[in-house]
Formats: sequence, structure tokens, C-alpha cells
Amino acid sequence: MAEGIQKKTSTKDFAKEITGRLGGETITLCYQCGTCAASCPVAKITDKYNPREIIRLALLGLKDEVLSGGAIWLCSSCYNCQERCPQKVEIADVIYALRNIAIREGNMPNIYAEFAAGLMSEGRIVPISKFLEKKRAEFGLPPLKPAGVEAVRKILSTAEFDKIQFKKGEAQ
Amino acid sequence: MEEAKIGVFLSDCGKQLAGILDFKGIAGYLKKVPQVSLVAVGSEFRRGQGLKTIVDAVKDGKINRVVVAENIPKLGEINIVEAVENAGLNPNFVEVIDIKDHCAWPHRDTPKEATEKAKAMLLAATERVKLAEPIEKLEFPALKSVLVVGGGLAGMQAAEDLADMGFKVYLVEKEPFLGGLAAKAGRFFPTDDCAICIQSPASDVKTITHTSRKCVYRSGFSEIPNLNVLTNSRILKVEGAPGNYKVTVERKPRYVSEEKCVVCDLCTSVCPVEVPDEYNARLKKRKAIYINTPLVYPPVYVIDAEACKFEECAKCVEVCPTKAIELSQKSEKVTLNVGSIIVATGFREYDSSVIKEYHYGEYPDVITQLELARMIDGFGPTKGMIIRPSDRKPAKRIVFVQCVGSRDRRWNPYCSSICCMISLKHATLIKSAFPDTDITICYIDIRTTGREHEYYYERAREMGIKFVKGRPTEILHDPEANLLIVDVEDELLRRFLELEADLVVLSPAMVPVEDAKQLAEVLGLELDKDGFFKEYNAKLRPTETKKRGIFICGGATFPKDAPTTSLQAHSAAVKAAKFLLSGKIVKDQKTAYVNEDYCGDCEFCPVTCPYSAITLTEKADGHFVAHVDDLLCEGCGVCVGTCPVGAIELRHLKPSQILAQMKALLSVNGTSKPLILAFCCSECGHAAVDSSGMAMLRYPANVRIMRVPCTGILQVQHILEAFKAGAQGVMIVGCKPDGCHYEVGSQKAQKKAEIAKALLKEYGIESERLEMFNLVYMEGDKFAEAARAMTEKVERLGVLQLA
Repeated sequence: MAEGIQKKTSTKDFAKEITGRLGGETITLCYQCGTCAASCPVAKITDKYNPREIIRLALLGLKDEVLSGGAIWLCSSCYNCQERCPQKVEIADVIYALRNIAIREGNMPNIYAEFAAGLMSEGRIVPISKFLEKKRAEFGLPPLKPAGVEAVRKILSTAEFDKIQFKKGEAQ
Repeated sequence: MEEAKIGVFLSDCGKQLAGILDFKGIAGYLKKVPQVSLVAVGSEFRRGQGLKTIVDAVKDGKINRVVVAENIPKLGEINIVEAVENAGLNPNFVEVIDIKDHCAWPHRDTPKEATEKAKAMLLAATERVKLAEPIEKLEFPALKSVLVVGGGLAGMQAAEDLADMGFKVYLVEKEPFLGGLAAKAGRFFPTDDCAICIQSPASDVKTITHTSRKCVYRSGFSEIPNLNVLTNSRILKVEGAPGNYKVTVERKPRYVSEEKCVVCDLCTSVCPVEVPDEYNARLKKRKAIYINTPLVYPPVYVIDAEACKFEECAKCVEVCPTKAIELSQKSEKVTLNVGSIIVATGFREYDSSVIKEYHYGEYPDVITQLELARMIDGFGPTKGMIIRPSDRKPAKRIVFVQCVGSRDRRWNPYCSSICCMISLKHATLIKSAFPDTDITICYIDIRTTGREHEYYYERAREMGIKFVKGRPTEILHDPEANLLIVDVEDELLRRFLELEADLVVLSPAMVPVEDAKQLAEVLGLELDKDGFFKEYNAKLRPTETKKRGIFICGGATFPKDAPTTSLQAHSAAVKAAKFLLSGKIVKDQKTAYVNEDYCGDCEFCPVTCPYSAITLTEKADGHFVAHVDDLLCEGCGVCVGTCPVGAIELRHLKPSQILAQMKALLSVNGTSKPLILAFCCSECGHAAVDSSGMAMLRYPANVRIMRVPCTGILQVQHILEAFKAGAQGVMIVGCKPDGCHYEVGSQKAQKKAEIAKALLKEYGIESERLEMFNLVYMEGDKFAEAARAMTEKVERLGVLQLA
């Protein structure tokens, strides 16, 4: 990690890019006290995710390391960190901002790429499967109506969702 | 008044300026100006022979107004005004201007243009003195007595200094005993000696040495002549003016006579009421009649009115051998007449229970630094033993948590600055006394910035105290083992730790005392955004407030360590002494006055005055008119700029003088460029013009400087008048908006400029012809640049056509 700080791998304006995004505004307030990490239920069970470390990497401009790794996708959005942060850094929201940047740049775990593709083609994240229909019938529920794909697409394209390259990421 | 006979004295600054300015031409021009009786050119007028020339002319009656164009005008002004005043002329009849830095240097490439500008500047100066009226010297009596509010380390030291210097001092403390936080803290860094020792009073002639310091109780503090200590008291009301305050103090009953009590302890032995001892962190109980520790001042018992059963019981009354207990005592009001007030109310620990995840107030073994200090104190509730309060067993594993509620944007965003050192002090004291105690300090940053402070950190590491970089997220309790668990990330190892502890010590934020706001209201002082008392100027006047006569020291302005508190206490004492020393306050009547015929029924000036110098008074006809207090008025003129009807004026710069000077400055151009008038405040604005000249920066001679006390004096009318008088562009040069010498003047001028711009548009004048600049002394280059840019801009706009 250290070797990237002053070299080409460091992106000078990465912090600015994050603060310019919804949810990312507060990242520069972080003074690395570690309350978030100690509060994080995910960090307690895997060393792949540590919110304090992600913020530090981001503030040092190590953009590739933050975006291409799988770490940012492990946040469970429990907001414990955000609740307890003494600097009012909106940590969980910062993670969302980072995810959004990652998606823009085509760094997305496969499962999210599949969700996105489903949304574009079917108007649903979870496709209607035969198994699902059968189960619904067993419970006496009516069959699902097809989603208004056109309307969904219109909304998505307004948000420029269709312009995102859904290349299958290396992240898992 | 006698017809004005003006003497104009032109210094060529030791021939420096002779190559640029045509002094002969200027003198010839001035001689034709009506009422100018004498024009002299010399190399220097601010001292020596030159100054004698001025004084002689005044003494001979040849002249009764003086205009001097001199090098280093500020220095010159002091000398010249003093000499002329001694010669019998009113100081307001003297005007000293700077034709070197404001004219000759910046325009040295165009000597002819510079000469014409010099003429305009001198003409303006003659106009000013021509219309000047004498300014009187005012004297207000000042009582040589001081009220010190707060009897902690700061208050005691300030009170002692002043009493030693011969002032009558009243020290008012709200608690029944003196000492404040110092008394509770036990020991102070960086000396680790007792917190309650103070400098020895000068009156202690028997034992005093140059270096001696003593515990409060044996320091002879109470015996200092001129010092009156009022404990159990609070300030209710402050009336009057600087030098003459009338303060109403409420003295709560002590129920024990200070004169009779001999501290024999019989009363406590019979008192049947027991309550938790707040002073000792509730680690022990005390009786309803009590004394904090044997070492306090005053050494007199006090009855806790909330706990005592009074007449129902009265056992103490029976047993007291000196009949000192007086259950019938009532609260009384005392009036103190003082010349000055020092606020030394200190600070307190923040209530850590707001941080729910630390469970302070819920888990008995989670305590604060001040509570730990009571344990460390050998006279404290545990006699120096470090225990866990839940079962009173020795605490073998202790975890300190730093920054509890401080550096926390949810509660107190600032760093309390002393808590790192308090932790290091406590940790090393415990480790020295009980070397097998396991101590861990969880920190975000360790801040040991003072003298000797880093050595504490070093020593702590040598002693084996552990440091974990990481702020705990939660303190958990294991009820079976009666253990606390501190959940923290060791960031340097990137490892999560669950530290087991018998005792967790929180380092809470240090915050203003509870009644700071109420006291600020009574005294008319401002608090900062964190609720501390605001000093007048953090850099230069840290122990003064905006209110002349009210001073401030110690933790009242921000949490401080003992050395800084002592320094401030001595500083505040000196400031108060300086203020009252002569027994009177002398000032020039350079103040605002109200024309009562025009003034009426509006609140603009009283609300805007930065010094609360203006009040509304009711006249016989039922109208309210403004009244200016000459003592409080600083003469800035912000009121003048605010008054919608022009009913308030400055004695030292009347509207007629402003207008006449403006016209004079714009009467001669002599350049091919459009005339620009720059209104500059006497403080940073004028200094920026000075420094641009001193640095020999260039700007064209069409820019004319009109000096006003503060840009806050400007009315929209003034700006319009400038255009009417021939200005093609107007600059306003004031201090930085947050650095205005008169608090709000610069901001007011900015608003005025915005309104004027809108109005100019209505009149068909381009609003770009008006611009406000906020400069400081060091920005002379920016002034020159602004003057050049403004000239170019106005040139581009073309000649202004007024309908």
C-alpha cells in the first residue's frame, strides 16, 4: 500500500471526486480514529474489509486499489460506523459513493452486473422463474405481471444507467 | 470661533522628494488658498528645528491651524500633536498627511502628475482643519477596586496580584470553598506538585522568599490586606460603567459563622445525615455539615441546605463549642462598587454519559479523569488507593480512553488540549505508586506540545504503559467476572482488541461552566461558538474583552493547563491595574453626537454600535432619541453610516469635513486619467496604502485617498456625493470582514457598497465604477494592483455623464 502513495498509482483528485458525489461529501473529515473499524460487524469476521482502511486508501488517492478490490462491496450497510463516528463522516454513504464510482468505471462484481442486466432486459432484478410461479400458485397467489420494461428503461436511461459498461468485473 | 489662520508645513523628507515634487509650485499654489497664512518648506517637521518652527508660529499667534506633510506620518503625528497642544492649540486643529508614501513614491515616474495630486491632498487637509472644532479631553473617575469572579487557580492569583498592588479586591466564588478545579485535580503537570499551591502573597512578610509558593490554606491568602473573599456567592447584576460598576452579589447562607468556627469536627461526628460526596466523586459519603478536605480555604464548615434537617435535628448546634452554627442565616444581597471586573470562571468536565456506548453513569467502574484524581489524592476518598468503585477492590488493569466528547463533531468539535497530559500524568503517578498495575491508553493522537510535556510521554513508555492507537467503539461489561471490556481497533497492527479492565478512565472534553451564558449576559460579554468567553483579540489581547474595564483569564476562554492559567491571571491583573492605576479614565471626546431635532424613534444605531455605547432615552414629548455614552464610544462612526436621517455625526469628522475634503481631493486632476476616490479606513485600509508607497509600488496619480476612521461610517450618500464631486470611480478600502478594528464596520461598508451599486444602476451609472477591497498592511501590492486595475476599468467605461 505504501509504495503507491507518491507514485503513478495515486490519483491526486480522488478525494475531490468522492466529495463531489452524493454520500461522499464528508470523507475528508476523517482523522483515522478507528471507531468505524471497531464498530464494524463485517470487519470483525473478515480481514478483507476495514472501513477505516478504505477511507485512508481513498484519501491517499489509491483509487485503483479501492475500486478494483472487492472490499467496498462487503459493507452490510448496518450504519453502526456512521452512528458512532466522532467526525460525522457518513461512512456507509461514502462506501455507496465509492460503489457508484466503481460501477461508472466498470468495476462491478458479477452478481451486480447480472442484477443490472436483468433490470435492463426484464425490468426486474430477480427474473420470473418457473419455480417462482409454481410456488406462488401453491400459495394461491396470482401469477406475476410482466414489469413495464419500457417505462423502467426510460427511467434508467434518464439516469444514464444504460450508458454504464457492464463488463464483468474481477471482483467477487 | 476665531478666524482660521492655517500654517502649512511641507517636508521634502531630507530632499528625497525634491526631485519628484515641485515644492515651489506647491507652495505658490497654497499661498493663494484662502485662510492659509503661512507656508514653509523644510527637510523635517516632526522633531528638532522643524518642529520648533511650527510651535513658534503657533505661540506667536501667526497661525491657529496646522497642516503638515511629513515622512512617517504616524510617528510625526504623535510628536507634532503633542508639541502643538503644549503650545496651546487644540489637537483637532492639526492634520498630518503623508505626501511621500501616498503620492511622491507611487507616482515618481510622473512628477508633474504627482505635484498636482500633492496640491489636491494639501487642499483637502486645509479644508479639514478649517472646518474642525476643538475636541475636549474627558475625564471619568475610576474606583481603584476590582471584582474577581471565580476562586480557582486563575481567580486566586489575579486577586492576589491586585491586592498586593494596593487595589481593593473582592473575590467571589460560587462554591463554599476556594480552589475550583485545582483543588480537585490533586496534582498538576508539568511539575507534579500539589494543585492547590499558589504564589505567596507580598503581605506574608515573615516567611516569604523570592521563590516561595504555598498551599492556599497556609499561604496567608485570607490575611492579605485589601482582599475580601466571598464564597458561596454569585453575581446577580452589574450596573454602571467602566471604572464605576455597581455589582449586586448574592451570598448564600453557610449556616456556620466564619468568625467563630474552629474546625474541631464535633459537628460532623454528631450529624446523622449522610449523602454521597460529590466533591470526592461519590466514592465516599459525607455529612450534611461538611468540609471538602482539611486543606481548603476558608477552613470553615458549611451546611448542605438540601440535606440538612435544620431545627428538626440541630444536634450540631448543641455540640458546637463556639456557638458557630447559625441555622437562621438567610441569603443576603451585597453591593460592591468596583472599577473593573475580572472573569476567572474556569471550565468543567463534560458529561460523558452522552456517549451512550461508553456507559458512563451506568457502569460504576467507568469513571472520569477528575474522579480518578480524587483517588490519587492521598487526602481523597480512597486515601490514594486506586480501586474499582463497584466492589472497592484494587484496580489492577486500567484502560484510559482519550477524546471523550471532544474532537467530536457531535458534541464538542475542538481538542480540549490538556487531556493527553492529564492521562499521562495520572498513568505515571499510578504506575509509580503501584508498579504492577497494567495501564493502556487508547488515543487518536497524543498531543504533548508544551514545555517538558514530551518527556511525560517518554517516561510513560519507559514505565511500560501501553499505548493503543484507536478510539474504542464501546465499553462492555461482563457481569460474571465483573470486568469491563474495551472494544478497540489497534490501527497500527490492524487488529481488533478486546481489552479487559477493572477500571476504565474517560478523558472527557473540557467545556464552559454551566452558568457561563448567564454571567455573559449579566456582564454584556460575548461567548464564542463553543460557549467560552470571547477575548478581545486572541493574538494581542488574550486577557481583555470588548468591554473596556472587563478582563478575563484562565479556563474561562478555553481549557488551559496551570502554567498558561497563571500567566493569564497575572496578565489580567496587570491589565486591570493599568486601567485603574491613575484613578481616572482619560480620553479625547472623539465620539459621536446626536442631533436630537432629527433623531427619533428608530433603533438602528443602538443595535449596530459594536460597543453598546448608544441607548435610547425618552424625551418630554414622548419621542425616543439616541444618546451616546462618551466613555463607551470608540469614535468609529458605524452609527453615522447606519443612521437613515443623518442625525448622528462624529465630532472629529463632521459631514461638512467629509464633503469638503472629497471636493478638494477631486478639484485638481493633472493627469489624463479619470479621477478615482478611494475611501480608506484609518486602520488596515490606510496601512495598505502606506505599505504600497513604502514598497515603492506604482499606481497612477488619479487615485486619491480619502481617510475615514472606519469604512463603516460610509453612507450611500457619501458614495453618490463622490461621483457628483467629479469621481469617475470609487474604491472603498477597509479591513478584512472578520478583522475589522471596529468589529462590524467592514461588513457594514460591504452592504452599503451593494446598495450603492444597485442605486447607481438606477441612475444609469455602471455599478463597476464602485468597488470594495478588504486589505491588510501587508497587502500594499494588492492596493497598487487594485488602483491600477480600477483606473483601467474606469478608462474602458469612458467618461461618466451625470444628468
